[in-house]
Formats: sequence, C-alpha cells, structure tokens
Amino acid sequence: MPTLTIDNQQVTVAEGATVLEAAEQLGIIVPHFCYHKALGAVGACRMCAVTVVEGAQKGLQMSCLIPAEAGMRVTTGDPQSTSFRARVGEWLMLNHPHDCPVCDEGGECQLQEMTIASGHGIRRYAGKKRTYNNQQLGPFIVQEMNRCIQCYRCVRTYQDYCGGRDFGVLGSRDRVFFGRFQAGMLESDFSGNIVDACPTGVFTDKTYRFKSRYWDLQEAPSICPHCSLGCATIPGGRFRELQRVRSGINQKTNGYFICDRGRFGSGYVNHPERPRQLHSRGRELNLAEAVRWLDVQARELLEQQGPEAVLLLGSNRASLESNWLLQQWAIDLGCKVPLLSAHIPRHQAAQVAAFDFSDRLASLEQLRSSDLVVLFGADPLAEGPTLALALRQVVRAGGAVIVYDPRPLELPCEFDHQSLTPVQLHELLSAEKGPEIDRLCELLQRAAQPVLVGGGDLLGAGGLLKLKKLAKRVSNAERACLLLPLLGAANSFGAALLSPAEQDDLLTRLETGRVKMLVCLETDPLLEAPQGERFADALAKLDELVVFDYLPTPLSVHASLFLPTCAPLETVGTFVNNGGRMQRFAPVIEPGLPIAVTGDGDHPPREFLSATPGDEPRPAWQLLQWLMDDRRELSQLHGQMVAQLPRLDGLTELRPGDSGLRVRNADERSVIVEDLPEQPAGTLQLLVSPARYGSDLCSRFSAKLTPRFSPAILRLNPQDAAERELSAGDPVVLDCDLGSFKFCLQLSEQLAAGCALVENSGAFPHLVPGDRLSFCAVGAEVQL
Amino acid sequence: MNREQLLFKNRRPGETVFLAGYRATGGYQSLQQALRDLTPEALRQRVKDSNLRGRGGAGFPTGVKWNFFPADQPGPKYLVCNCDEMEPGTYKDGELLLADPHQLVEGMILSAFALQTDIGYIFIRYAYAQQAENLRRAIVEATEAGFLGQNILGSGFNFELHLHSSAGRYILGEETALLNGLEGKRPNPRLKPPFPAVKGLFGRPTTVNNVETLANIQHIVSGGAEWFRALALTEEGSGTKLYGLSGHLNRTECFELPVGMPLRQLIEEFGAGVWRGRKFKACLPGGASTPYLTAEHLDVALDFDSLEAVGSRFGTAGVTVFDDRTCMVAATLNLIRFFARESCGWCTPCRDGLTMVRWLLETIETGQGTPEHLEMLKDQLQQISGNSFCALAEGAMGPVAGLLTHFEQEIIDHLEKGRCPFQ
Repeated sequence: MPTLTIDNQQVTVAEGATVLEAAEQLGIIVPHFCYHKALGAVGACRMCAVTVVEGAQKGLQMSCLIPAEAGMRVTTGDPQSTSFRARVGEWLMLNHPHDCPVCDEGGECQLQEMTIASGHGIRRYAGKKRTYNNQQLGPFIVQEMNRCIQCYRCVRTYQDYCGGRDFGVLGSRDRVFFGRFQAGMLESDFSGNIVDACPTGVFTDKTYRFKSRYWDLQEAPSICPHCSLGCATIPGGRFRELQRVRSGINQKTNGYFICDRGRFGSGYVNHPERPRQLHSRGRELNLAEAVRWLDVQARELLEQQGPEAVLLLGSNRASLESNWLLQQWAIDLGCKVPLLSAHIPRHQAAQVAAFDFSDRLASLEQLRSSDLVVLFGADPLAEGPTLALALRQVVRAGGAVIVYDPRPLELPCEFDHQSLTPVQLHELLSAEKGPEIDRLCELLQRAAQPVLVGGGDLLGAGGLLKLKKLAKRVSNAERACLLLPLLGAANSFGAALLSPAEQDDLLTRLETGRVKMLVCLETDPLLEAPQGERFADALAKLDELVVFDYLPTPLSVHASLFLPTCAPLETVGTFVNNGGRMQRFAPVIEPGLPIAVTGDGDHPPREFLSATPGDEPRPAWQLLQWLMDDRRELSQLHGQMVAQLPRLDGLTELRPGDSGLRVRNADERSVIVEDLPEQPAGTLQLLVSPARYGSDLCSRFSAKLTPRFSPAILRLNPQDAAERELSAGDPVVLDCDLGSFKFCLQLSEQLAAGCALVENSGAFPHLVPGDRLSFCAVGAEVQL
Repeated sequence: MNREQLLFKNRRPGETVFLAGYRATGGYQSLQQALRDLTPEALRQRVKDSNLRGRGGAGFPTGVKWNFFPADQPGPKYLVCNCDEMEPGTYKDGELLLADPHQLVEGMILSAFALQTDIGYIFIRYAYAQQAENLRRAIVEATEAGFLGQNILGSGFNFELHLHSSAGRYILGEETALLNGLEGKRPNPRLKPPFPAVKGLFGRPTTVNNVETLANIQHIVSGGAEWFRALALTEEGSGTKLYGLSGHLNRTECFELPVGMPLRQLIEEFGAGVWRGRKFKACLPGGASTPYLTAEHLDVALDFDSLEAVGSRFGTAGVTVFDDRTCMVAATLNLIRFFARESCGWCTPCRDGLTMVRWLLETIETGQGTPEHLEMLKDQLQQISGNSFCALAEGAMGPVAGLLTHFEQEIIDHLEKGRCPFQ
C-alpha cells in the first residue's frame, strides 16, 4: 500500500495501482484516452502525461503506465506536463472534423472534454485533413472514421475483450483504419460495446441516430430484462420513447460491457402494438372501475365456487414486488397460493438455484477471476451472453473453459467442447467413477477457484442437483467449488425464492374445470411455457381471463379483462439474478405514446390534451396494491417483505445503480425430480434451444433485432442424417408431442449424435426451451 | 591504418561465397573451437570483454544485453536476428549477406550457444530477396555439414535456424514490433517492461541482435577480446564497422573500416571526395535518424561516444553526404516524409506529431512560412523527443534537431525570402 504525493496531496493506494488511478482517487482526473478501466493501459495516446519529481523514473511520464511507488512526488499541473498535454490535444485534433453540431456524440464526447482539459484551443495546423471512406457495418452501428483519434479502444474492446474477429486495425501511420476487411454487419454478439468504448463519434448507435442530444435524454440505472444474468444498463428515453440502451457498470455482474440483445433489444417498450389501454370484453370500465370489478368478481367466484375458482399466476418477468403482492392478494382473497411460473420445469430448476445452490452461488465477478470453469448443458451466447464475455476473460488470464453440451457451441474464446446428449450429460453427472468424471474431478480439485455453470433448461432441476453434488465432491477445506445456474428469465430466481416447495401444475388445475378465473401477471403461457396448445384448449373452460402485461402477447388479445402495465424501465422494482443478487431498477421514462408516434414522424403535435395519450399502463405492483386498497410506499412494502422473508435482508436499502446484494443463504429444498423417460427406439432426443435473439419475449418484440433473428432450421449430426437419407438443405418434418413442424435441415459435426436441435424464436413459438426431455422423429417432408 | 577485413574478407564484386569458400578462409573454425573449448559463460564473457556494441543503430553493448538473458532458464528461448534494414542511407547488412551469408549463420550458432537457445529466427525484409535466397542456401549447407540441427559437432548442443521473410516496414526494426510481426501480429511496438529478455517471442526469453553484430561473434571467438578491441582507432571503441557511403560523393560504396575513422578521411579517401568538385555541407553520420554533422565536425572520430559528444549518433554508420548546394530544409523534409509514412500509427506524437512537423517543413520550404512556424517547429522538437512510445519518433526528430542546431539561419532565409533560396 504505497503512499505518494500528487499535487501536494498525499494518497495511499493499493499495490500495483498506477499514478493515474492514484490521482483519480484524489479526485484529480488526468486527461486520458487509451486508458479504460476494463481495457487497461497501453500508453498509446500519451495524453495522461504528468511530471514525476521524485521517483524511480523522473521527468515527464505517462501516468497510466507507471506504478505508484512509496514516497513518489508527482505534479500534474506543472508547465512541462500541461504544455505537453496541450500538444497532444493539438495532435489528436489535427484531422478531427468540425462537425460537432451534427455529431451524435456531442455532449457525451470524451474528446470534447479531454481536449478542453488538455488546454488545446486554437488549431494551428492548416494542412490537408486526412479523410476516409466509411463502411456500412450493419443495422446497429454507424462508422464515421474521419472523427477517429486512434485511441485503439474499439479494437481492444471488440477483439481483445469481446473476442470478435471481423473487426480490427488496418493500415498504418496517420491512416490507421478501424473497421472490417469489407463492409458488412459486425458479426460479434457484443458489437454495440464499441459505441460505449469509442471516446468520440466514430462509432455511434445507428438505432439512436439523430434522435436526441445526450443532455435531453432521460436516463436512469436499470437491469437488463433479457436473460437471468441481470446486467446493469442505462436506458435513455425522450418524449416517452425509449431511444437507446447503454451499458451500466457493475463489477459484480457485467463489468463494463453488455451484449447486443440487451443493447438493441429494447424495442418492445415502444412496440406499435403494445397494448396501452385497458380493455374489458362487453363492459365499459375505466381503470378504477376495472380494478374494483376484478376484486369483486374474484371474491364472488371464490364465495360461490370455492378456493380453487380463482387462480393467480405470477411470472419470472414480473418484479419481486409484483410477485410478492400477488401472493398477498391471494391471502387477502382467500384463494390458493399463486403459481409464480407457468413453466414448471424451469421453475423447478430455479428453485434448485434459489435454495440448494444458495450457499455457493458465484457472481460473474468471481467467475471472471476463476481458473477453471466447467459448463454443463449451457449455451452462454443464447442463455446469458455476458457469461460468454466473462469466460473469455477467464481464458485471457490463463484459465481454462470446458463445456459439456450437445449443441454445436460457439464462444468468443478457446474452450474444450465435449459433445454429449442430454441423457449422457445426466449419466456423466451421476457417475461415481469413470474415465471422464475422474479426469474432470481431478482437474476441478487441482483448480484454485473452480466454477461449475449449469444450464437450467437442459439439465432441469434433477441435473442441477447432480451438479451440486459434483461441486461438493470437488470442494475442499480451503475453497468451495462455486456454482452458477443459467435460468429462464430476469427474475426466475426471485419468483422461485418466493414460491413454496410444493406447487401444482397449471395445466392440471385448469383442466379440472374448477378454475373459473385465471389472472396472469406479466406472463403468457401460450408463448412462455411448454404445451401452449394444451393451455389454449384449457382457456375455454374459464369464465374470466385477466391479463396484466406490457407486451402485445396473444394472450392479451384473448383476455376478458386486460390491464396494461408498465415495462420494467417505466417503473421501479427489484429483480433477483441467477447468482441470487437483488438489484433495483429505476424508472427511466413515463408510460405513454411516444410523441414521435402521435406526431406522425414530423413536428410534435400542436393539439393539447388534458391527459397523455396512451398513459394508462400502471406498474403491476401498483395495480395489485389498489386491489387490496393498500396505500403504502414501496419502501414500507420492502420492510414487510424482509420481515416475512429474512432472506431478502437488505432489500430496503437497495438503490438503483448500486452493485446489488446477495440474498441470504437458505436450507436445501430437495425438489422431487422425475426420472428421465425411456427413449423409444428410432427416435432422437429433442433439443429446443433458445435462439440468441428473439427467444425471450422482450427481444422477440424488438423490431431492431430483426436482422439477427435466426431462420427456421433443424440441425442433425451428419451420421443421423445419413441414417435417414437426408442431406443439408433438405426440407424436413419434425414430429414430436407438440405436433409436426417443418424446417430446413442443416448438418453439424459438433452436434451430439442422437439429437435433433431446433431454436426457439418467433418462427416457432410453440417449441419452448427448458421442457422435460422428450423425443422426436425427423423425416423428409413428403411432397404431395 | 590497419585495414583488417573480418566481415568482408570474402567479398568479391558480383560474387557470393557459400560454404566451400567460407570454410577456405577459416569459416566455422570458431564454432568448432568454441564448442570444444568454451563454456557458454566463457563465450558471453569474451563478448562482454570485447566491448562489442550493437551495430543496428542503438549501440547497446552486446555483452551487457546478453547478461540480461536468462540463459540457464529451462524451456524454449529464442535468438532473433534483426535484418529489417530499411532506414534511408543504411544498406550494410544487405551488402554483407550478398557477399558472405555464412558469416551470419556461424555468428548466430555461436550466439545461440552462448545464450543456450535452441531456436533462432532471421527476420528479413521482403526487399532483400537475393539475400534471403543466399541465407536459405547457407542454412541448408550448414545443416548438411552438421553445423545446425541436433547435437552440433558432437557437443550435445542443438540449434535450428529459420528464415522469416516479412512484408516488412521500417517499424519492424524496433525489436518488440519485430517480435509481434514474427508472431503474425500487427507490428506495433510492445510495452516495456517486460523486456524481450524476460518475455519476448511467444512470451519466452528472447534476444534480438542485428546482422552485423552477430556476424562479429566468430571473429571475437577466434581473435580474442583484446585483439578485437585493438582493431578500433579510438581508445573506447572496438572492432571494425561496415560504413555505407551514400549521397553526394564520388564513390558511394560500403567499406569495412575500423571503428573510429575520422570523418574527413572517410569522405576524402574512401568516398573519393564530394562529387562535382563541390564542397561538403553536412552529413548524416549513421543513417537517417542521426542529427547532421557539418564541416566543423570533419575531424571527429566516427565512434559511439565521440559522436554523442558532438550531439549526433554513430547509428548504423550509414554516412549520407550533402553538398553545398543542398537545401537542408528540403533534405530534412524528405527524411521526415519517410518517417511520417513509416510510423506504425500507435502513439500520438509519432502518428500525428510527425504529420505536423512534415506540414511545418512543407510550409517553410514552399516559402509560406512565418517566424511563428519556426517557433512551432522548435516546440514540436522539444515535445516529441523523448515522449513517444518507441524510438521511431525520437529518431525521426534527429535530422530536425540537427537542422535547428546547425542550419537555423537557412530556415530564416526561407522565411525572409518567401521561397527556397536554393531554387
């Protein structure tokens, strides 16, 4: 812990900290470009020069490169440093165009800030400016290379940190070019990070182009709703339109970067068909009347037809508060305990994560510093993309990644892929002995900080429990082997944590015919649970279907009463991520039709109304409070939640934008796990995998992501295809319990033999990932 | 004056000496002698005692550099020969490899033995196609003769030597950029520390030496350190040097002469005087990145310390002479254009600072300059020197430093006349 003096102020810093970091600790921001907290220092821009008066290397030094030493004396404001930094500012600005008024970066441009900080003001260079031809980089990112100041941050982000391979540095001298070999869509699933990393307007968000000035945006810290990792984001909106999402910073989860699904998948908020108005079939009701009618109707039904007549269904998309209030309303009504998920296998897997795993859950931060990560049945790029980034950091630091998974996986790093079918995966995890499990246990036992990652969808609750056994087996007195589950949605963990151990099955209850009213809180079992067709049939038995949602789901159309709710970023709430971290999100924009929509794309409307058009959505938790005539503040609710569930300790103190808080550990809750079914002869194991884009409903309803949606493809191992006399490109039919589906066939050597792989996306909404293991037949499509 | 020929002893016009000719004049005897009589430590000590200084331009004592090298560390270690010779005025390594490629091969085997590395690379620029061809043949011949490969001459020492022809740019002469290039990466210089001796090629300990440096090793082995030092004309100097003459001379050739040659003798005797009967105005003593010498320096001995004492550098001993009708602003602009074009684009002072300097010199040379431009040029010199990521920009500013020290009046003439006074 060296103590040094910077500008006559003493500061003690951590071992290995640089002078730049030490100065920052004192609040002295030395101008810099190429230094970035996540990317480190490379000493290229030379902007962070300071003068070392006493120390090992005296004189003008780059503060990002020299380590802070005890007794060092550094000045940042002396003539030598300031004149050199002013010169660097001048050099960097030699070619920079004077287009700030039309540049999207204006207002949040580090080049503007640092140029002023450097002291450079008047351009003396009157030579020719260097210019470039820009490339089309696809639908997400605009390139304007003339603005480039060659800090190399983009390429260090895209290639080094994120592992993208189609973007790099070309050329040399003052003609260095940052782009692709040829124009085309950036291939990386993390491409948007170069927008955040670029200190000026070279790479800007195409989907946000010319929409707003930074200072006009409403921004607030939020939590990404697209998967269970809970990355920090900062969405920005204006005129009630969500215009962009940028990465937030949370060391415990994503660090500094997010994936493109999270960044460009926010179109659902402004979806043109988003239901913004209450509708009640056959009745003219306003919001207050509708809430009253719902409460009265539910009580009447319960009184007349018993406690099973009303069924409340929560979800893993809804916040912790909403789900908890749904449970409170059930108590208030006197009906049965609500189900908090329509997807039973996923919910069971989440329960294993929330209870059995709770004493050894890893954070992404811990995972990044691990030396050995073994994944079982997990496809990070689809089920939690930022996990793939974290894995890359493991490999970059010299660690290893092993993946046991049937699918032909891609990761932005080197890894050892063992292609096993789901059945073989379970066998491996159950095995006491055997060459593979022995080898693996030995590797895990030798590792300094091993982490096991389990895909909840593929392993199910049973597989996750086996994974926990393995973790225990390779833990020792010095260190535990940590676990990280991948779950279905942003609040899967939270919903599981609130649920009692014993839960009925939604479909069984509906099919008894005793349920007369179903209330769905921000969920559509037609799309979000397996056997959607069975659910659709069961809906006929209901008298009333009540839906709370913010998405234009098919179920919202069927509803006899539909109550529009706020999207997560229009309200406040808490999600619990897959590592058991409670994280608060804040409201970014108000619900209501964006002005751009009402103004038909031109000038904002000149008609003035007393109410905001389309502002009927209310936070789901608020609607539930109204049902119970509960007027407490959210903080009071939090207090009651903690009192009831001590695991939520700290919930009251959570603030949006902080790093969140782990829920307290819980006792194991051994879910009853069914045995794997027998495989009928001649069938294939059906793998329904989430597509990277469009598998979660929020991204499916985001038109911006359309270029990334995957086509309807079925993959087979070439061996299985040969047995069926099929070849790549053939039209094929897949027959399974859920029906028959037509696909185009592709072959993949890396896919485990004996499996048929399809991706869940908008193209095949009935094939929902995470269901129990089932089997299918694949054959050529018969042309009639 | 003693004109001992070590490196050029087999040099004949238009000929290349291969194994038979090289052995006829004592080639590979040093290798046999060293493997038989010397330990690696003893060899390193002998090189250190010889006071051999690096011939690639920086002049760092080779023995000291080798002492940093962890020769006893197990695992792969590399010896790399830097043959990315492309600074204007420097062509000595090319001449050596055209004449006698085995000089380098034997020198590398001995150096590898001294450093206990079993893999060596020769990094050669693309334009040296004939030299690469010669080296390829020399490596094959040496391998067949048992001087390369496993268990060399029964000593138990193994060494394999590879030739890498690169796409090559000037920046690859910077040793860490060269290592990146050799690894197939973008040749930007690396951050130091760690130095190559600790973490070099493929992350392993590596020493990078110049062609001429390595070719001297067998002569130090056979002649001894004392003898080698005595070859120089100066007290502190050692050995011979390949002087590459160019510019406005009657004879522009490469000569092997003792270190410490007086500049006047080199120009008058070996360069046969300034061409067309004109007068000597200035010269670059050691390649394009060394500050100019003027007529007042004609009696300076060409050696590392004596040239540093007069504000220049010995560099590569590529001596480029300018006659009295040369515009030194134009000459400097020509050099700066080269350096600005060869910047790798990594750090700001080099990438954009040299662009700024080029523009300033262009403005002055075309007669549009003002006293303010002269002040800016002085400021650029001060700000760029010592503050760039690697030595390229520092070297690029060498001629500018010389211009401002010795020819400021010539710049002022440009400003006052509003044109180049030499046109």
